[in-house]
Amino acid sequence: MKYEAVIGLEIHVQLNSATKLFCDCPNRPGDEPNRNTCPICLWLPGALPHLSQEALEKAALACLALNCTIQPESAFDQKVYYYPDLPKGFQLSQHHKPLAKNGWVDIVREDGRIKRLRIHHIHMEEDVAKLVHEMEGKTPISLVDFSRAGTPLIEIVSEADMRSPHEAMEYVKTLRSQLRYTGSAECSLEQGTLRVDANISLRPRGSDEFNTKVEVKNMNSIRNVGDAIAYEIVRQTHCLEKGEPIVLHTRLWDPEKRITSPMRSKFSGPCVPDPSVPRIVVGKDWLIEIQGRLPEMPGKKSERFLREYGLTPEEAANMSFERDLSEFFEAVVRQGLPPRKVAGWMTTHLVPALRDHNQTVRDTLLTPVRFARLLSMLEKDIINAHAGKEVLLQLLSSEESPEEIVEKGHLRQVSDTTELEALIDRIIAEHPSDVEDFRKGNAKVMGFLMGLAMKASQGKANPKLLKEILTKRLN
Amino acid sequence: MVSEIYTHKNTSPKPCANNGLLAGRRVVIQPNMSACGWLSDAGSPALEGFVALEDATVVARMRDAGAELVGSSRMSELGFGLAGDTANRILSGGEADIALVTDTMGEARVAAAGSAVFGFKPSFGMVSRSGLVGLVPSMECYGILGKKMEDIIDTLSVIAGKDKDDPSMPDETFPDFAAARKPLKMPCTAGVLKECVDLLQDRERKAFRTGLARLEEAGLTIREVNFSEFDLFRVVHHIVASVEASSSAGKYDGVRYGHRSSSGKNWNEMYLNSRGESFGSGIKTFLFQGAYFQFESYPAFENACRNRRRLVRTSADLLGSVDLLVFPTRRLEHDAWRAATINHIYDAFLLTLPANVTGQPSLHVPSLALHAGTDIGVQLVGLRLDDPRLLSIGMKLSSTAQGGASHEV
Repeated sequence: MKYEAVIGLEIHVQLNSATKLFCDCPNRPGDEPNRNTCPICLWLPGALPHLSQEALEKAALACLALNCTIQPESAFDQKVYYYPDLPKGFQLSQHHKPLAKNGWVDIVREDGRIKRLRIHHIHMEEDVAKLVHEMEGKTPISLVDFSRAGTPLIEIVSEADMRSPHEAMEYVKTLRSQLRYTGSAECSLEQGTLRVDANISLRPRGSDEFNTKVEVKNMNSIRNVGDAIAYEIVRQTHCLEKGEPIVLHTRLWDPEKRITSPMRSKFSGPCVPDPSVPRIVVGKDWLIEIQGRLPEMPGKKSERFLREYGLTPEEAANMSFERDLSEFFEAVVRQGLPPRKVAGWMTTHLVPALRDHNQTVRDTLLTPVRFARLLSMLEKDIINAHAGKEVLLQLLSSEESPEEIVEKGHLRQVSDTTELEALIDRIIAEHPSDVEDFRKGNAKVMGFLMGLAMKASQGKANPKLLKEILTKRLN
Repeated sequence: MVSEIYTHKNTSPKPCANNGLLAGRRVVIQPNMSACGWLSDAGSPALEGFVALEDATVVARMRDAGAELVGSSRMSELGFGLAGDTANRILSGGEADIALVTDTMGEARVAAAGSAVFGFKPSFGMVSRSGLVGLVPSMECYGILGKKMEDIIDTLSVIAGKDKDDPSMPDETFPDFAAARKPLKMPCTAGVLKECVDLLQDRERKAFRTGLARLEEAGLTIREVNFSEFDLFRVVHHIVASVEASSSAGKYDGVRYGHRSSSGKNWNEMYLNSRGESFGSGIKTFLFQGAYFQFESYPAFENACRNRRRLVRTSADLLGSVDLLVFPTRRLEHDAWRAATINHIYDAFLLTLPANVTGQPSLHVPSLALHAGTDIGVQLVGLRLDDPRLLSIGMKLSSTAQGGASHEV
């Protein structure tokens, strides 16, 4: 392709503070409509905003997690536009003096190399009300739900450093992982607590100019972010090849049709400094205190896992990507289990099982200690992997100990040679033609007979012993 | 109860507390100051029928101090100027001892000049704005009108002070008003701005000189000082106030309260029609001017903000060389109650609006500078947040002022 894509992302993240940004209403936009409102977030005459300290702290923590510099002084502006979702004719946002500047995240490129993507700035702003469009008989009506009005957001504005859909998706994934680590935000694209707007333009490969960009909105999954950008790159390429000019406008991604189409843009007015919300002046002590709350970030943690536990790079990345999972992993390792075994079992069995049962490591009955006892039975050959998986599933919904489950379910591994020899002899006797095949050189039959033997033991046979006996008998 | 001069007349004004600082004193407020259950429409159809859900901090504090709230006066739309304002008539008619009038460009002080009472605009940040249905957040504040200096000082000491509901108040500790009650003893120099005196007509200048002579009689030393950029105050006020007003009035859209137009096919038309039908022509013009600076001439607004910071500095510097500044309160030919255009309104408040631009305290002392029975007023301006000192100078002039009182209705 002779064109190169230039991509910048603007990401809105809903902070999970207990209250809204400027009043004491609960920050629960999903509650019944207009329940979480007060004179301040309804902007009734006479009410004055007061900035939530918790929201400010969570915003600052998020900025630090993305390697931004908190500005010594930041302030709110009034972003003026008229729309029914905005109860006072302007949105309070930090336009002139954002909370933080100059951050970055590292991502892995398509070719496996690390690329640093810069963040221009992060500012705080309030979310707007939600509009609900309905029909009352044959008349279309619009309803306003102010429960979301005034809930705290941060907007993360990247530099236009991304060059492909892959880089954009990796940027969102990395940023989401780092923000979740801080505990400041849930960051779900599906639930709208993380919203991505992409600015995309094309330029001849090798050029360093910036051409007219097109903004794309409404991607509700990371895959959609990649697909929408890829679609837009193709669309703009066709335009350029046909000699059509690119016009600055906003397009909406349609996840059903998988295309973007132009939308009518909201009129956006100027930003004037707000005289009622005091400027935010960051003191040294305050900043040190917030920095102290910053947990070990996934990149650092991954390096440590590599070093301390001897995990492979892939295992280390898997075990550090989510904070809860990484803490679970380390808690299990502290019980004295071999780290690679723990990582393997978590990735292959635990994580899929939790997903299937709609649980997370945070809310499941399967504590690190119980999981460690299960792994330790495997280590000691008390049970085999087959039984291990069975016990794991039961541990998700039962408060019994792993040992009790093993005993009750008779899942203990059979390592009694006599018992296993009898079993093998019976299988060999029942399948003379297969045994014949094997002896003629068909090695695959070995696996088939092993499967039969394991099944006959109800999955409890010690597979190592079983194989030894079978091999001996066949030869 | 509604009448020609009241928006709301309180039928049971007796307070629950009888021993507070304001016990026995009758206070009239305006309908842009929230009083629970009272119509609080700020004199505008844009807030038609809006009844306050709770007391403004100031109103609650006055109730607690034993004040009898007699009602709320009629006021100019959204408190901009004095057209239709009846607070001075209620005071002159003897129906109240104290009136609260919001002061955005000098309304409280000019109203005081019209009813031969003291009028005080506190420092910006001295009094909580919570519950004030405002228009120009960085300039407006509660102004106090009272027949005696004690009325002003008592009211201010009740309503001033930190309020958790107004986080824009400064962190500095609030002054002690005990000092304000004693006439200032030490020698005191009053600065008169040459640029201000120069723009007065001969008869205004003559009346003002009479007033200055009365200050000298009371023991003040008068000194002429220069403020070369004095004419910037008007344009800075006009640009900044109109921009802030345009933003603040954005919330009056008829969606949640106030007048909503019955015509309109969609919400854009609903906005246009509701707002178009709500605002009077004066305020509409002012909002348009603000929107113009916001949307079409933003650099002019930024420039005005820079100039404002410089005016604040220069004014504070001047108050390092003199103890207070003295201006006339109003001009003879510019009647604030009749001013119909934005330009006429600015003409009428030309001499009071500098204190709104700088946030400094300002006291109108009545009856010192008369021309043929009309009081053009003596207006004292002090350092921001040093209100007690300015008030104690007022106490010093109080006996002089009351000796020469000539009531005008």
